[in-house]
Amino acid sequence: MMITRSDFLLRMHLDDVTLDLWMVEEWLLPQRAEDDLLFTEADLARAQLILDLQADLGVNREGIGIILNLLDQVHGLRQALAGKLRPPEA
Amino acid sequence: MQVDVIFRLSCPRRRLHDQWVESVEVRDPYEILGIGKTAPAEEIQKAYRKLAKKLHPDLNPGDRQAEADFKELSQAYGILSDPEKRRRFDQGEIDASGEEKPRQQYYRDYAPADATYGNSSGFADFAGSDSFLAELLRRQREHARRMPGADLHYTLVIDLLDAINGATRRLSLPSGGSIDVTIPAGVRDGQVIRLRGKGAPSQGEGPPGDAMIELTISPHRFFVLDGDDIRLELPVTLKEAVLGGKVKVPTPAGTVMMTIPKGSNTGTILRLRGKGAPRKSGGHGDELVVLKVMLPSSPDAGLEELVSQWSPEKEDDLRGDMLS
Repeated sequence: MMITRSDFLLRMHLDDVTLDLWMVEEWLLPQRAEDDLLFTEADLARAQLILDLQADLGVNREGIGIILNLLDQVHGLRQALAGKLRPPEA
Repeated sequence: MQVDVIFRLSCPRRRLHDQWVESVEVRDPYEILGIGKTAPAEEIQKAYRKLAKKLHPDLNPGDRQAEADFKELSQAYGILSDPEKRRRFDQGEIDASGEEKPRQQYYRDYAPADATYGNSSGFADFAGSDSFLAELLRRQREHARRMPGADLHYTLVIDLLDAINGATRRLSLPSGGSIDVTIPAGVRDGQVIRLRGKGAPSQGEGPPGDAMIELTISPHRFFVLDGDDIRLELPVTLKEAVLGGKVKVPTPAGTVMMTIPKGSNTGTILRLRGKGAPRKSGGHGDELVVLKVMLPSSPDAGLEELVSQWSPEKEDDLRGDMLS
């Protein structure tokens, strides 16, 4: 289920400039289609996290990049451990 | 006092969906934020940020309790960060269960299935050193590949008659495209239908997630659902009320004939058995027809003549208990 750029902006109440900035910072990596960008529900949830960090927690631009990078590593580690503790069925 | 009542009636948490009425014991927002009643706005924000850093579910990926705690914190902050709401709370006009931002999911719920942002640099240096860890990494990639797609949540507004009789309705998706949703007979407001495999596709090669469709039933022009029963206010003429007779009555399953007993009054309830909504335990509820006696829509000379000549056998004292 993919979400177009305009739907994404609408659902997140974001403007074009902000979204472009987030993509330049590589906080969001939507798929690129022919003439549009395609976002997932995961991107929506990630965008909400960015908004929470910015608005509610007062984290600045550099801080957000660092937090997202560390969070992605945490999730990578969590998955690796989960895979070890609960091996995928053959 | 009147303000209080109006707010409570319009407060959405008390309406419709069962899951909104879950607020059991709500703690005092000042207590949740750990501040005094007179704390200035800056102190409230400071206290909130300090706690939010500890409790935000995305900053605590492994802590399931964080979500409930953060919800409580957000609610408290929602009230105290808005001067008007804070004033009303302080004066007892609203209670602490008031405000809550609707929030369905956190990023941490998607991260395990999300290959886009996956990052193994936190342990990449282990890989070469130990075949055990290399195996672990391989399994992790394999696991990510098999992860099913995320569940997607939608709401669908349906007519009361569709809820009672069942129907197939097309749901247009925000991303374009549509799903045909088969609504079983007898669904209730707030019920969720799960469509397997209609959710987001897997990021790898796993199965797609499910579509979760929450039904909202829009009110009907004249049928009102009351448990398993249907209520209907049926206008009848003076003649039908006084003399009785057979009238056509709409039911969810179509029109039926009903006998109005002689001398029926406004408020008389007639029961059509088995014409209500399907029961969970099988069978149907009833349709309760509430009669409403109507005078002719324009003055009727014949009726006036008749009534002026009419002397009741017994004079009812209709307003006696109001005028003691």
